Amino acid sequence: MLSLTFKNLWARKWRSLMTAVAVIFGIALVAGTYILTDTTNQAFDQIFNESIAGTDVVVTAKSEVDQQDGSTPSFSAGVLKEVRQVEGVDLASGGIFSQGAILDKDGESTGGGFSPQFISSTQPEIFEAVTYPEGRKPTGPREATLDKAAADRAELEVGDTILLAKVGKAVPFKLVGLTELGGSSFGGTSVAQVILPVAQKITGNVNRFDQIAIAADSGVSPEELRDRVQEVVPDTLRVETAQENADRNASEIRDSLQFLTIALLAFAAIALFVGSFVIFNVFSITVAQRTREFGMLRTLGASRRQILVTVLIEGLIIGLVGSIIGLFVGYGLAAGLSAVLKAVGAELPANALQVLPRTIIVSLLIGVGVTVVSSLIPAVRSTRVPPIAALSETLVTGGKSRVVVRTVIAVLLAAIGLILIAMTLISGTDGGTGAAQIGGGAVCVLIAISIFAPKLVAPAASIIGAPLEKIGGLTGRLARENAQRNPSRTAVTAAALMIGLALIAFVTIFASGLSSSVNKVIDDQLPGEITLQGQGGVVPFPAGAVDAARNVEGVEAASGVRYVSVKADGKNASISSVDPADIVQVYTVEWKEGSNADLTGLTDREMVIGDGLADSIGVGIGDPVTLTSQDGREFRFTVKAIMKTDSISLAGEGIITQTSMARDFDQRLDAVGLVKLDPDADLDSTQTAIEDTLKKQDYPTVDVLNQGELKDQQKQTINGLLAMIYVLLALAVVVSLVGIVVTLILSIYERTRELGMLRAIGMSRRQVKRMVRYEAVITAVIGAITGLIVGVVFAFLIGIPLSGDGFELSYPIGTLIVILILTALAGVLAAIYPARKAAKLDVLEAVSYE
Amino acid sequence: MESTLAAPSQSHSSESPIVKATGLERVYGEGQAEVRALDGVDVTFEKGRFTSIMGPSGSGKSTLMHILAGLDKPTAGSVEIDGEEITGLDDGDLTELRRDKLGFVFQFFNLLPVLTAEENILLPLSIAKKKPDQEWVDQVIDRVGLGDRRDHRPSELSGGQQQRVAVARALVTKPAVLFADEPTGNLDSKASEDVLTLLRGAVDDVGQTVIMVTHEPDAAAHGDRLIALRDGKLVHDAPPVSADNVIELLKTLA
Repeated sequence: MLSLTFKNLWARKWRSLMTAVAVIFGIALVAGTYILTDTTNQAFDQIFNESIAGTDVVVTAKSEVDQQDGSTPSFSAGVLKEVRQVEGVDLASGGIFSQGAILDKDGESTGGGFSPQFISSTQPEIFEAVTYPEGRKPTGPREATLDKAAADRAELEVGDTILLAKVGKAVPFKLVGLTELGGSSFGGTSVAQVILPVAQKITGNVNRFDQIAIAADSGVSPEELRDRVQEVVPDTLRVETAQENADRNASEIRDSLQFLTIALLAFAAIALFVGSFVIFNVFSITVAQRTREFGMLRTLGASRRQILVTVLIEGLIIGLVGSIIGLFVGYGLAAGLSAVLKAVGAELPANALQVLPRTIIVSLLIGVGVTVVSSLIPAVRSTRVPPIAALSETLVTGGKSRVVVRTVIAVLLAAIGLILIAMTLISGTDGGTGAAQIGGGAVCVLIAISIFAPKLVAPAASIIGAPLEKIGGLTGRLARENAQRNPSRTAVTAAALMIGLALIAFVTIFASGLSSSVNKVIDDQLPGEITLQGQGGVVPFPAGAVDAARNVEGVEAASGVRYVSVKADGKNASISSVDPADIVQVYTVEWKEGSNADLTGLTDREMVIGDGLADSIGVGIGDPVTLTSQDGREFRFTVKAIMKTDSISLAGEGIITQTSMARDFDQRLDAVGLVKLDPDADLDSTQTAIEDTLKKQDYPTVDVLNQGELKDQQKQTINGLLAMIYVLLALAVVVSLVGIVVTLILSIYERTRELGMLRAIGMSRRQVKRMVRYEAVITAVIGAITGLIVGVVFAFLIGIPLSGDGFELSYPIGTLIVILILTALAGVLAAIYPARKAAKLDVLEAVSYE
Repeated sequence: MESTLAAPSQSHSSESPIVKATGLERVYGEGQAEVRALDGVDVTFEKGRFTSIMGPSGSGKSTLMHILAGLDKPTAGSVEIDGEEITGLDDGDLTELRRDKLGFVFQFFNLLPVLTAEENILLPLSIAKKKPDQEWVDQVIDRVGLGDRRDHRPSELSGGQQQRVAVARALVTKPAVLFADEPTGNLDSKASEDVLTLLRGAVDDVGQTVIMVTHEPDAAAHGDRLIALRDGKLVHDAPPVSADNVIELLKTLA
């Protein structure tokens, strides 16, 4: 029996390979994700391990509150003196490693997009991890080095001038050397090195360090020394052996990449889910077509079990082959994905691609598992073939019991899904939990729809086929009849496409809703005409820039907005600080209790609190709130007023003054600057004047945007993300298109004699092709329309609980219609090969075919 | 057997051949495996006559019909249909030829299950985008005796009824030649008789040319002319006298 399985597979090798495509894409994404993240993790491990060369113990500050940019607080340089006194310390040296901006001499950024840039201090020789392939270490106050990869990207050479900036104006440096860290690649990250006092000054850390590196006397173990150092430093500082430090840094990176892994694996799951539909369909059709063969085997004495095993082993082998191919494709995909990330400015460090045993095992298990499970129902069906089927002309089709079971399952799933959605809507669960519940309900309903779909095929095909019959006459009619002939086959094919398109419609609507919500925030909350941003909106910029802008002719008011993550009475919160004098002119606050006058008159020990935060920590006007800073210090503020907030409010969950922000929380950088012009000032010329002033005063990292540009920029960010999601969802869509191709080929094979007859009585090849093409279009459009409807409905439902967060949906009808048309065209594309195959059928063979 | 039908009707015979095959050879395979399915066949078919082609398995009778109908290409020789040389035609021209001049009836009926009986009958006209001649269509449907089953699907018809629909489908375009490939091979004797009577009637009443491959002596006896092949060669060409006579003939061939 086993050799029969192999012979069957070999005889249908193209069909089997096409079936394997159903898992290849999903597995490729699984393997690619693992390879990519493992490679990145490995690269970071290497970076951290190489950067602790010569170091035995590291002192850093503990972070009480995690900041959004992942930075750790600096600490007083005075600690170094204590550390040097510790017995067993050979050498101890403080250092700076802080995010900043690296620019070329014209003030243009040398990095791209989201890749961070760091300013670092030079290290004494013993701790030196970097090498200098060109030039030398900086020694003077106006000298700097840059990592070689970054220099190559920006086409900079030794002798060129670069600018470094963080808390103050940009400062020019002469590039005296290029650095390399072992064999590590930093990805898109770049690092500039300057001597310690300069690094401290630029990063706003005069007399402070980000870390202290310690070398032990010979004979003293790092662990021993760590414990001794721990004794003398304050407990706000963390003392680790160098290896512990490297491991912790690596694992923090791992955690932050976990999100990427999960997101990519979710898309892999979608592609595999869709693929399982395709596998199910192919096996169902194949089993139906082999009814006579199974009957024959039964007459020869084969048991049901043997029949079941033959079919399942076919599934297993197809799954195995698909997974192995998927692994190789995934290897290529990992390279492709990192190129995509590089293109969007989020290049990850990478050395040789890492294929861990885990990647191979998981990929094979999932691929084989999905295939075998998907082929289970058809396999069981194959065992129901009675021996008599060997002799009869007509094919034996499934009994009624299965239809009942199927209906019961569908109704149950739909009910569970709808109850989940309804419960969420009635109970009014807001935010993430609500959205997750509705999402879960949506998946249940989606599967239920797929099970019900055969019932929808006939009417849907009639409607969609009507215009095709108008254009194509007989070919249109036959195409429609063919699509309806085997409703469950068409339904499963269309359902596979439906899933992909539902998700595409969903994210399209959501992205459009996000864009319009952001626009609404800009319109409603920002009465000013101009916004200042650091490099692409992601890097904070020196506070001096807003002051410079305020003094430009034609500017009426300006306020910087800074953010810091704190604990408010123990609860994590992101709060902002503003310039009270000017803020109400450039930022519109919706008050719950209080007024603009409260904000204008805000003093350094008072705060405005968001209504959500006020409720959750239970405070009202006049109550004290304790805010804990990143380094663990506590400050008391009095609630002056309560504002209404939602998740995309610019003010965060609380407002304090700039003075308190700088003094208590050490945040001296503005994330955004809001500028209002005199009523009679000209927008264009004033905008240009601000740009010129900032440039002249050495704030080259600041972008000056008017409201239209700001909206465009936000839209671009959202669309960039949307494009990536589209690409990942496209995998699922391609799988479902392959499903259309395979199903068509199998149907054509089944209808060989019929096609031969049509050709014999005068149908031309072109007509045959058109007929097949129309059938594909009908199937694709059924999938597209149901998908779009499902996507729109779910977006609408999930939008309800989110509307409380200031999120409002908008329906991009035009885009959705374009998607529908593209899907119909994709149907035509999927039909190319089957149509050609049908048209090429030899009439003679076809009519004498049995 | 009905003697009236067994006796060849000469009334429609004319001198002009509608199908003319010259020096037909058809070789399958090469070297040791070479099979000469047709080995130099010259044959003509006159308009308005009903010819049966017989022969034992492997005699080349099906190959001959396939080549005459343009479904297969000869290794050597030529075929003219209605004065047109068809052996060199490409697929597009062959499609046109089939639309305009040929009709087919197959052993396995080959109706489209998704269409009604009438729609199946009109199918060749729809494919060619020709307007049906309603009077002729009615006459054909009337002739095959399915007037009350026009709207039935093939699955609702018996085998004999399905094959009558297939005959009607072949007649509806008034083809120059109607090819029938074992049209009774899958039918019981009553249904076979109905189908053969239909074909006979088409020849007698409207001068339809019919070329039929069969291995059933009863069926062959309905024709005006019986040709027989053996080992790819034409070995017999004469009017059939009776079914028994045909059986005797087959014995000599075997």
